[in-house]
Amino acid sequence: MKREVLEAEILEWMNEGAWRRDEERFERLALALFRLQFAHCEPYARYARALGRTPDDVERAAEIPAVPTGAFKEFDLRGFAPEQTVHTFRTSGTSAGKRGQLHLDTLDLYEASLLASLRQCLLRELVGRAPLMRFLAPPPDEAPDSSLTHMFETLRRAEGAPGSAYDLHGGRLDVETLRRAIHRVDRSPADGEDETPIVLAGTSFAFVHLLDAVTSAKGSSDAAAPWRLPHGSRVLETGGFKGRSREVPADVLREALARLFDIPERSIVNQYGMTELGSQFYDSTLSDPVGPRRKLAPPWTRVRLLDPATGLDVPDGAVGRIRIDDLANTGSVAAIQTADLGRAVLDDDGEAIGFEVLGREAGAEMRGCSIATDVMLSDGRAAERSAGSGETLR
Amino acid sequence: MTRLEIAWPDAALERVHAARGRIEKAAPALRRMTVGDRIDAVARTLASWTAPDSPYRRELVELLGEASPMHHDTVAEGLESALRAWDPARFRDCCRAELASVPFGPPSDGPARGARRIAPFDWTAVLAGGSIPMPTLLSGLLPLVGGSPVLLRETSKDPVTGGLLKRSLTAVQPDLARAFEPVAFPAEDDAALDAFLAAPCVVATGSDETIRAVGHKLQPSQRLVAYGHRFSLAVLGPGCLRDASGLERVVTDLALDVARWDQSGCLSPAVVYLLGIEEEDRPSVAHALSGALERWAGGLPRGEIPVEVLASKAFECEEARMRAAAGRAVLVLDGAGGTVILEDTPAPRPAPLHRFLRLLPVRDEAELLERLEPYRGHLSSVALAGLDEPTEMSLEGALARLGVSRVTEPGRLQTPPVDWPHDGMPLLIPMLRFVQSDRARTP
Repeated sequence: MKREVLEAEILEWMNEGAWRRDEERFERLALALFRLQFAHCEPYARYARALGRTPDDVERAAEIPAVPTGAFKEFDLRGFAPEQTVHTFRTSGTSAGKRGQLHLDTLDLYEASLLASLRQCLLRELVGRAPLMRFLAPPPDEAPDSSLTHMFETLRRAEGAPGSAYDLHGGRLDVETLRRAIHRVDRSPADGEDETPIVLAGTSFAFVHLLDAVTSAKGSSDAAAPWRLPHGSRVLETGGFKGRSREVPADVLREALARLFDIPERSIVNQYGMTELGSQFYDSTLSDPVGPRRKLAPPWTRVRLLDPATGLDVPDGAVGRIRIDDLANTGSVAAIQTADLGRAVLDDDGEAIGFEVLGREAGAEMRGCSIATDVMLSDGRAAERSAGSGETLR
Repeated sequence: MTRLEIAWPDAALERVHAARGRIEKAAPALRRMTVGDRIDAVARTLASWTAPDSPYRRELVELLGEASPMHHDTVAEGLESALRAWDPARFRDCCRAELASVPFGPPSDGPARGARRIAPFDWTAVLAGGSIPMPTLLSGLLPLVGGSPVLLRETSKDPVTGGLLKRSLTAVQPDLARAFEPVAFPAEDDAALDAFLAAPCVVATGSDETIRAVGHKLQPSQRLVAYGHRFSLAVLGPGCLRDASGLERVVTDLALDVARWDQSGCLSPAVVYLLGIEEEDRPSVAHALSGALERWAGGLPRGEIPVEVLASKAFECEEARMRAAAGRAVLVLDGAGGTVILEDTPAPRPAPLHRFLRLLPVRDEAELLERLEPYRGHLSSVALAGLDEPTEMSLEGALARLGVSRVTEPGRLQTPPVDWPHDGMPLLIPMLRFVQSDRARTP
């Protein structure tokens, strides 16, 4: 199958609207994509050969060799000529370490995937209503290689109201501009009309900075400034803390944001993503408000949880390594082995309905010195996972 | 019959207050002992642990073996070897040397003009950390030498050492035992922790976060003796390869350092640098080390490995295999006894531990020191082998400047002598307070 044909079919799937899992379709496309990537991405082909899993050996998508995310730092994982590159996303850097790179020769699938997921999991009934969007992230001119900023910019252009903008400039969060923007939204709709909701999106650590700024302003003239968001507003937060703010547990951050903005906690949606992937995974709380909070996988992706000792799928509910097969990654490698641990979330019948990403703190107590050693001996990689952001908040 | 259990809200706080009351009541008797008597009593207590037939050590092995994720035999060997390296006579000598300017006789003798004496802290709070009991044993005893009663907060991973230590003190010198109390309370019980950290001297062992958190709770007038996170490493030179038996000896000893305590704790080698070893010779070191790890796994079986460690190890192996597949001189040896990854560059990479060792090549001493520079202040001990004498001498000085507190040889990383300057500090002095009298004595 030619790449254009394959991409057209994947795009069609992404644009179908309602999410529908189709295992047969996924298997067929994943195997065809593996054949293409094996043929055009030399480092991947060599790895697959070393593992004895070439297209001639592989019969099911589960057998496709996955590359560890760290490989994006060390290898040029692209299935096209370098001069065809139209965009490169880079992971956040550290002083000692290399940055992971995702090269793209087309943004079509990348943007179609992210918009489909955001419409399904975040915007929902706001699709086409052009809500005001404010981004606690640097604008594209300040972070041209940040996949997160690109995602926000794509969302802003496709669904944002005029006036939607970024509130992090030169590494500083412009709290006052954000506050005024929230205030300007029409709070007195005509009879029968709803307030105009706002979408706030940003990194977890930027939200922590906002909370700290609001707290420290108490007692000043800003003390009375209400941060209440209009009814129906929602918050998208993503990424870890990476030493850029105090660390706040996810549930504590959610509770604090819900209180500050006076919105229900289910309106706060967390994203799990990484620069190396073309697709992202969002909390279920808006698409399934009564079910347990979990991450939902778009149908053109497959999330598997693997036993670290055997490499086999763990039983439902057990902890495993998160492996992601993402058909949006046509230009690089679709099968990615992350460094993260996760667990399937089950419904009352014991069926997996999504997954949760487990924090690094699991088992931390037992490891003692090990964690510090791990962080010291690595180039900071241990602390920079699980986020698609390349920006810094200085 | 229904059993009614009531969780008293201030139970932990009250336990801390009660224990503090008991040790403060015992303080006068402790201070009436001479410094020499206290040193002697603590040394005899240590001897009751280091003796080959020590009942305390036997009991600690049994109890800790049950509570720990490590294998019983690994716990037993770890304790056995570490305590074997603690010589009570050497402890006495070290104390006397550090307190050379202090009178050892009865307090009534008084100091000569200009002499200094110990001014004991009212009490000392010792915050134990980790699952290896050696630091707990020592830091629980040392303040007693200075005449300060001790409240020891045990860790959830080692709820047994404190109680056994008190029993051993009771058998040697009841006055010392009455001035020592182990206490347990949950880490999140702020009221109990605040009461515990009210001590004028706090000795803390733990993660950098723990040390920082403790530091934030103390007043400037309080003494904090902190033992934070460090890691250890080994440096092997071409001399290891001169003959097969030499290499075998070095890797067997190094693998023992790795297997002990399942490579947890600051004294475990987390990484090995191959200094000046030619590229074609490096695989033989990796294979020999991997083989030695397999052999040790027989006598020192691996304990339970947490899932996140297994995941991290699998991830690191996959990355290394990808580098190897690309034609780089990288070797992955993943066996039941442990994992050895030979890298082709000295670039820093994660160390999942639990018997996972990475071999990083460095051209020369200068490159090694350049690579270690980012870890300045985080290094504990270094084992050297196979280097020529001038290089060893030069490295020892350079490593000391990087904050390394012990240079030794493979096989001895986990068994420092009792007077080892932990984190670069003297044994006793950091936990003591002194007073000096310049007043002319009345004839």
